[in-house]
Amino acid sequence: MTHPATTPPRSGRRWSHLPGTGPVARLLLTGGLCLVLVAVAGVQLGAVDLTWSQVWAGLTGDSSEHVQRVVFELRLPRTLTGALIGIHFALSGWLLQLLSRNPLAEAGILGISAGASLVAVIAFIIGDWMVSSADPYNNTSFALQYLPLFAMVGGLVTALAVYFLGMRHGNLSPVKMTLTGAVIAGMLHALTTGALAFWGHAHTELVAQWLAGSLYGAQWQHLRTLLPWTLIGLVGVALLIRPLDVMQLDDQHARTLGLGLNRWRAFALLIATLLAASAVGVVGPVGFVGLLIPHISRRLAGANLPVQLVLCVLLGAVLAVLADLLGRTLFTPYEVPVGVVSAILGVPFFLYLLSRQP
Amino acid sequence: MLRTEQLSLAYGDKPVVDNISLAIPEGGITCLLGPNGSGKSTLLKSFAGLLPARAGKVYLDNRPVEQWDRRRLALRLAMLPQKPIVPDGIKVRDLVALGRFPHRKWWQRNLTTDDNATLNAMAMTGVSDLAERPVESLSGGQQQRVWIAMALAQETDILLLDEPTTFLDWGYQLEVLELLSTLNREHGLTVVMSLHDLNQAAQFADRIAVLADGQLDTIGSPGEVITETLINRVFRVHATVNLGRDGRPFCSGFAESAKDNPPANDHDRVHVTVQSEIS
Repeated sequence: MTHPATTPPRSGRRWSHLPGTGPVARLLLTGGLCLVLVAVAGVQLGAVDLTWSQVWAGLTGDSSEHVQRVVFELRLPRTLTGALIGIHFALSGWLLQLLSRNPLAEAGILGISAGASLVAVIAFIIGDWMVSSADPYNNTSFALQYLPLFAMVGGLVTALAVYFLGMRHGNLSPVKMTLTGAVIAGMLHALTTGALAFWGHAHTELVAQWLAGSLYGAQWQHLRTLLPWTLIGLVGVALLIRPLDVMQLDDQHARTLGLGLNRWRAFALLIATLLAASAVGVVGPVGFVGLLIPHISRRLAGANLPVQLVLCVLLGAVLAVLADLLGRTLFTPYEVPVGVVSAILGVPFFLYLLSRQP
Repeated sequence: MLRTEQLSLAYGDKPVVDNISLAIPEGGITCLLGPNGSGKSTLLKSFAGLLPARAGKVYLDNRPVEQWDRRRLALRLAMLPQKPIVPDGIKVRDLVALGRFPHRKWWQRNLTTDDNATLNAMAMTGVSDLAERPVESLSGGQQQRVWIAMALAQETDILLLDEPTTFLDWGYQLEVLELLSTLNREHGLTVVMSLHDLNQAAQFADRIAVLADGQLDTIGSPGEVITETLINRVFRVHATVNLGRDGRPFCSGFAESAKDNPPANDHDRVHVTVQSEIS
């Protein structure tokens, strides 16, 4: 042995700092504060800007009917739904990047969102044809309830296909998986556009807006539909933390550490798909959040997965709410979909982080 | 403990290991030698239960490895692949701590005993001072010691290594082999590794198994195995084998393609190095 064995310092262990003092706590507090700020701004700002007292009065039900409607029925559910879909896409991307050891993995790039969209659009068209109501908005509530389920079927089938086509000699090949996903995503996009062009005349506008990933018209109903899946996703992710640590190693290496790799990887893929596809089912495919937020979290948190996870939740919600807020305030009365703004906001920041990579 | 019986392995339709029966001596250092594609890595993977056998079996404690629960197997046997993947941004301490994974159920957090095992493994491999450094920032030799520390934190009695010296320069190669030798002597660790360098195998191994075309050519002590005829037969090298003072063989040679017109100067120069190394 060339180096004499010394007693290493005991500092630097995970969670060893006093609460509120360590860099980890500072990071999480800052993230939490940002979330509160954008959430308040999300309720306060819009076509009509409100004051603090108006918002408070609206929340407590102690204001004019108009303010109450704006706060309680429009902005609050929209902001909360935005936060949830941010969490969904960020966690989904985080899981996919870890389970495939591929920094480019994300529900959009792997075709999971596209598969979810296609099945959701088809379900929408068929549902519309069966009910054939004169007023499409009357049966959106029917569709909304079931769209996440249809989207999940599409997402799961796509995820499984991409996963198995991405295998090489019994091991997952990240490059093959990404390429397969990109090709399948392209094909599914084409099919979705085709389905829309052929059968979707009646509601092309509505569906096109949904396909751009928009929070327009998000109500409590949307939140209620999404929330169970958020909870399932969070529980699943918490269960996965320890196996994910080992999944970052080479497949065979992970197996020699006693990890039942196929079982855990399948579970991680399932949770990632449920998270992404349920969000797609409610607001349509929102890109980039799933790619950017895990990267940013990793850069800020280092290799500590629990901290990465919490940061993904906080920052995913921040980006989605902020993007939606900007999208509906910058060009009033026009709205830019949240997916578009998150890309415009996130990509320069992402490139900046990349350029600073050692 | 670890042995194979008429083991045959294949990737798809391509047979790689053919009818090998051998036993790994407990508490010894066993080296697998052989040309590229002779089946060394494949055989190591089958020891770790990573490849289903085409025919025959691998036994650990008289029980076929495929019948072992993955986690229990991981408490007996650690493996270091040839090119392990470093998780993004991970610190030395956290990577070494991954070796504790099989000691806890998946819902449990690491305990003090795990922290102690991690610290101990870092001390044994001399990487304690690097504990807070990102693994990516270390030199090749340091990284290899960190990987060995992770395998030691697993606290198994058998350590399998797939060409642990391949991507290291000479000084680091010897450092890693000396470390393994120390661990074997002082802690009774059973080491099984594939190597490319005959002299290093001769210097560090208690037992050498030579594979050729997926079959076991010879197995025995370095003195029995490293002979001019074997080197010529298996590696197609014309070799001169001398015995060092420690009784271990030492060889030098030139490729068969140069048989008719041996590069005399090179050959002489090799001999000079050999002399200085031995005397």
